[in-house]
Amino acid sequence: MTTWKLITLQCRMELLRMVRNPYYIFWSLAMPILFYFIFTRVVNTGADDAGQWQAHYLMSMASFSVMGTAIMSLGIRLVQERVQGWAVYMRVTPLPGSVYFFGKMFVQTVMHLLCILVIFVAGYLINGVSLTFGQWLLSGLWILIASVPFLAIGTLIGSMKRVDTASGVSNGIYLGLAVTGGMWFPIEAMPSIMQAIGKWMPSYHFGGGAWSIVRGEAPGLDNFAVLAGYLVVFMLLSTYIRKKQQAD
Amino acid sequence: MTNPIHEPIAELRQVTKMFGSKKAVNQVSFTIEKGSITAILGPNGAGKSTAISMMLGLKDASEGKVLLFGQSPKDLKVREKIGAMLQEVSVMDGLRTREIINLIRGYYPNPLSLDDIALLSGLTPEELNKWAVKMSGGQKRKLSFALAIAGNPELLFFDEPTVGLDTSARRLFWQTVRKLADQGKTILFTTHYLQEADDMADRILLFHQGQVAADGTPEAIKAKLTRRSVSFIVDADHRQVKELLREVPGVTDVFENNGRLNAVTDDTDTALAALFRAGLAVRDVRIDQGSLDEAFDQLTMDQGEAV
Repeated sequence: MTTWKLITLQCRMELLRMVRNPYYIFWSLAMPILFYFIFTRVVNTGADDAGQWQAHYLMSMASFSVMGTAIMSLGIRLVQERVQGWAVYMRVTPLPGSVYFFGKMFVQTVMHLLCILVIFVAGYLINGVSLTFGQWLLSGLWILIASVPFLAIGTLIGSMKRVDTASGVSNGIYLGLAVTGGMWFPIEAMPSIMQAIGKWMPSYHFGGGAWSIVRGEAPGLDNFAVLAGYLVVFMLLSTYIRKKQQAD
Repeated sequence: MTNPIHEPIAELRQVTKMFGSKKAVNQVSFTIEKGSITAILGPNGAGKSTAISMMLGLKDASEGKVLLFGQSPKDLKVREKIGAMLQEVSVMDGLRTREIINLIRGYYPNPLSLDDIALLSGLTPEELNKWAVKMSGGQKRKLSFALAIAGNPELLFFDEPTVGLDTSARRLFWQTVRKLADQGKTILFTTHYLQEADDMADRILLFHQGQVAADGTPEAIKAKLTRRSVSFIVDADHRQVKELLREVPGVTDVFENNGRLNAVTDDTDTALAALFRAGLAVRDVRIDQGSLDEAFDQLTMDQGEAV
């Protein structure tokens, strides 16, 4: 079998499954959009520049949504397929493990793209957020690409033994990262200790790149460096766990 | 073409698998020839499933070598030639039965047609259109079998394939397996039903405590393990007849039961000849051969006591 044929077959099937199971994507979208509405229309945050705040918070919510999809959907689905015995069966077939994994990543990317698009449109509809074409494009691309370390977290969650544990742990990590990384409220409004911690969180730098872009700046070097560092750590960890599990 | 009969398809060489300090499989070696039907038999925890897992490349051997078609089971070229029905029935959500079968077919270079797969597995058109997760246990088994044969593999693994099947489904399953074997496919299965091993296999590998306790045709294993005996009624002094029988070569035990004399021997013909030569009026002669079930119990029990 040519690898290309396998890849298209696998991606097509995974896409079909995603479309038929809109439940996953619904929750990744509902909460961020609701938050966006509340903190830009209902609650008065007292921001000096309302337009700037609306754009900033739109980036927060888009990152928040994509981060959730990366950690929760991927992690829980991986555990489910292993618990159901499907992942084991795949290893008996001639499908290379890398193609199986690629299929998963492909569908994740499509889901992330969908999240970004829907939330950007929501921002435009709710507050008429106006950015230059370049800012829309670059911030969207940033969120799409910089989500990779969170996919690695999802893969780590995916090595858990039970769906219940995976679901609980991923929820905790997801919300923990969102709060400490300043996605819900800017960390500048938090106590100094929280600010110090937040500046080392991958979520802070994930949102940080997009915040810079809507301010008209380029993502900082620290954004790249911290996210790359986390990615390496998570990948090493997940390789180690997989090796250990396979040896059993 | 070299000798087509002796073509090793699967080979284990001095394979050991440790779980912690426990040896699940201990120094096991055997070769599976092309076109054979082999049953792996043994009580729970005997190491059958671990052996199958290593042959499928799902687990790594701690020591020794596992080869399929002369290569590692993890080799993709090898995996194109094997099909497996695992104990855990797996289905994918969000897909119909037909779609799952077609997905798996797409992984192999020369798959069977969907029609052939449906025919062999007994999946009906309605079942093919069903969501895979909504199928009943028996239907999922059929799907599992369908996936195993989807790639038209040369070597098929069935790990306890008939658990949970009713009698007619079981019969249909073995009829199909026989058909596949007649096409020259090599078949390896584990089972708890000894009768299935006896009926289907041309070779039995009996696993016990991680080792191969017996290896041979069902007949050879029965002959080796079961106690053949001749019993009869005779109107003569039982003590004298007993003594006579004890002298006969091959007789290992003589006892009386319900008025009948019993002689345990591998060679019942010689024992009978000795009786007739002595001019004894024996009648109601019966020759008994223990069942494979008895042999199985006896073997695993004897070894259990020896440890």
